[in-house]
Amino acid sequence: MPDVTKAQTTDEALLDAVAPPAVEVPAGQDEKKSDKPRSLWGDAWYDLRHRPMFWVSSVLLFLLIVIAAFPGLFTSVDPRDGDLVNHYLSKPELTHFFQPDWFGYDQQGRSIYARVVHGTRASILVGVGVTAVVTLVGALLGMLAGYFGGWVDSVISRLTDIFFGIPFLLGTMVVLNAFTERKVYVVILALAFLGWTSIARVTRSSVITAKQADYVTAARALGAGTSRILFRHVMPNAIAPTIVVATIALGGYISAEATLSFLGLGLSDPTISWGIDISEGSKVIRDNPHTLLFPAGMLSLTVFAFIMLGDAVRDALDPKLR
Amino acid sequence: MRGARSAKWVAGAIVVALAATACGGGDDTGSDDMNKGKADPNGIVTAQLSEPQNPLQPANAKESQGSRVLRTIFAGLVDYEPGTGELEYVNAESVTPNDDSSEWTVKLKAGWKFHDGTPVTAQSYVDSWNWSANIKNNQTNSSWFADIVGYEDVHPEKGDPKTDKMSGLKVVDETTFTVKLTQPVSYFAYKLGYDVWAPLPEAFFKDPEKYGENPIGNGPYKFVSWEHNKLIKVRKFDGYKGPNKAKNGGIDFKNYTTADAAYSDLRSNNVDWIEQVPTTALTNYKTDLGDRAIDQEYSAVQSIVPAFYTKTFKDIDPKVIQGLSMAIDRETITKTVLQGTRTPADSYVAPGVLGYKKGALGDIVKFDAAQAKKLIQEGGGVPGNKIQIQYNADQDHKPWVDAVCNSIRKSTGVDCVGDPKPTFQADLDARDNDEVKSMYRGGWVLDYPVNSNFMRDLYGTTAAGNTSGYSNKEFDELSSEADKASSIDETVKLYQEAEQLLAKDMPAIPLWFYKVNSGQSTNILGKIPYGQDGDPIFDQVQVKQK
Repeated sequence: MPDVTKAQTTDEALLDAVAPPAVEVPAGQDEKKSDKPRSLWGDAWYDLRHRPMFWVSSVLLFLLIVIAAFPGLFTSVDPRDGDLVNHYLSKPELTHFFQPDWFGYDQQGRSIYARVVHGTRASILVGVGVTAVVTLVGALLGMLAGYFGGWVDSVISRLTDIFFGIPFLLGTMVVLNAFTERKVYVVILALAFLGWTSIARVTRSSVITAKQADYVTAARALGAGTSRILFRHVMPNAIAPTIVVATIALGGYISAEATLSFLGLGLSDPTISWGIDISEGSKVIRDNPHTLLFPAGMLSLTVFAFIMLGDAVRDALDPKLR
Repeated sequence: MRGARSAKWVAGAIVVALAATACGGGDDTGSDDMNKGKADPNGIVTAQLSEPQNPLQPANAKESQGSRVLRTIFAGLVDYEPGTGELEYVNAESVTPNDDSSEWTVKLKAGWKFHDGTPVTAQSYVDSWNWSANIKNNQTNSSWFADIVGYEDVHPEKGDPKTDKMSGLKVVDETTFTVKLTQPVSYFAYKLGYDVWAPLPEAFFKDPEKYGENPIGNGPYKFVSWEHNKLIKVRKFDGYKGPNKAKNGGIDFKNYTTADAAYSDLRSNNVDWIEQVPTTALTNYKTDLGDRAIDQEYSAVQSIVPAFYTKTFKDIDPKVIQGLSMAIDRETITKTVLQGTRTPADSYVAPGVLGYKKGALGDIVKFDAAQAKKLIQEGGGVPGNKIQIQYNADQDHKPWVDAVCNSIRKSTGVDCVGDPKPTFQADLDARDNDEVKSMYRGGWVLDYPVNSNFMRDLYGTTAAGNTSGYSNKEFDELSSEADKASSIDETVKLYQEAEQLLAKDMPAIPLWFYKVNSGQSTNILGKIPYGQDGDPIFDQVQVKQK
């Protein structure tokens, strides 16, 4: 990603459109006062509302989040409950909507529909969790490096380079190998361990451009302290590229979790995960493709929704990249 | 006929195979003419092999691949009738015990020769055993000689050996020698069928290492060449005097790295026999191969074993373990998840072994959810109401572990999850270091076809195979009494009594017996005969005339 260019364009957009620092105009409120110039966030929101892609992905994500939060609403079947006598690899009944046999049964005689529904939580949690940790750590380090420069920048940047140099999946596998029982939080931390570098880099470059803006100089001239300048002036104006990168990466983390679980290094039983189910399904795919297709389909749909949202947000925040 | 593999834990019968091979064409299904045609006495059989771990020395193959080659090159003193496990003499004229089975006299058949033309004498055996037992020579299977008087002198726990000869071995004349044992073992003759007891020619002792690359034996085949990681060739030895003369011209052992590659080569007749059908082809191999599919039981058992040093099982009432056993629906799991590759176990002892009794464990291995629940309640329940089953994830164990857990959870409400270790080595390490958290997966292939091998060598307090911390004085006493019995029949009978004792005490939950799922090419005449250890009896394989 051309971080620096993006930071500059954002900054130009800021200079063009934003007279007062962006944060002082909450998003969405300026709709009625259409004669007033909109802030970056207002502009982005206006832009988003007019994109069908945004709405499709939002509805999808809303649905997925509801499933993740309340799987019981969608199925009453225990996803760990196998019935080999009656349901060993039963084929799907595609017309039995929301019934346990909708997607068929797997090689343990468990309802694939129930497993797909209950697996949602792990995937969403991992995606959102990793993104949250990565954004927090990455943005903080990037901001410090960008704002203070000098030796702070050197140390943080070299550290980022080192972590960036470690292959992401391979490194995560090595970390996860150290744990025998891998719960959701372990996988989140392992993925975040190597995932924060790109966020740190993006934030650093956009902070460097933001701190040179006139309003920062003005604030400093007015006697504002470092933390006030950093959090009230620099951060709100430099955070946009960070959010874009984070949103797009979210989908990637979900598929990374599935990849690791497929390899037997991600989440472990009794946690239910699409990756584990895909891995198990792949062994009987020759005669029973349904065991693989439904969890894989849900995974693709979720990743697709997050990446689509990320795309829409990027387009809205970064008009010049369109 | 051919006998035992080493004392070793089986990693699993199913080879892990991730890639699903495309279903290649070719209408090579069901050949009715498998039994038609004439045998070619000089036809070459090609068979699958992985690279042997060690040089080809008789006591240096603890794994099945080296052992597979060694057993074609050597003929032991005795061998076993497949199916019944009855003893038959090969190189020995007779193997007879004294009154209390503590001293054995071995008489050899006269006139046998090694492949290099030197005679096979009593000295060839005694020298071979002395060399293999010696700690300096670092042979993986040297502990097999531990029964012989003087073993401690050549293989002390620490330090250098005092001598290079075991005092229990005495050459009487050219074809006779005696073996003195530290304690009576009524079935000692049965142990002699295993690879480690082979004789060695004088050429061996000049340069054992060089010999390991170019072995000279006394068996039905002589060694020709070894291209590492590629091919091992053995050819019929015309001077062979034993009962099991080769019915083919020789064997080419071809190296394969994946089960999928071997399977597609079998289907295109580029290899005549493979070890195991890949998992991905299990549902279809019978339709792919028709008559040529091999679906054969062998003497190995899989079980789950409670680690008795854990909090959960420290003071457990055996009734609880019986209950867990009855909560497993073996019948359904073997038919579905395991796709018919195993048969439900009904005994601690595998079939084809002396002393195996059908249904020996009675109702304890029958699925009965209500009774299982009742027994667990009577026994005071499982502490923590949760168990884990440790297994190695580098092989295909997860499906059946999950199925067993589901069965237990569903019928008794005891929570159960798998505990995967990344490799077989890590799995074994955890067992050896008493680090198993709850229960572990165990598998055992016979070493010699007597039921003691499945009980004393696994559940005896000091047995090498006992890694669960199980100890039962009554059982130990009964088994040493059984070893001292005057006849093998009596030994077997006493061990059958011991099995009933184990059924009450539950040192392990037997799950199922292994099967070979394999196939043969169209070049082979008739069905490939199998030994009790799940390997073909290569000298009896016939090749069709072209």
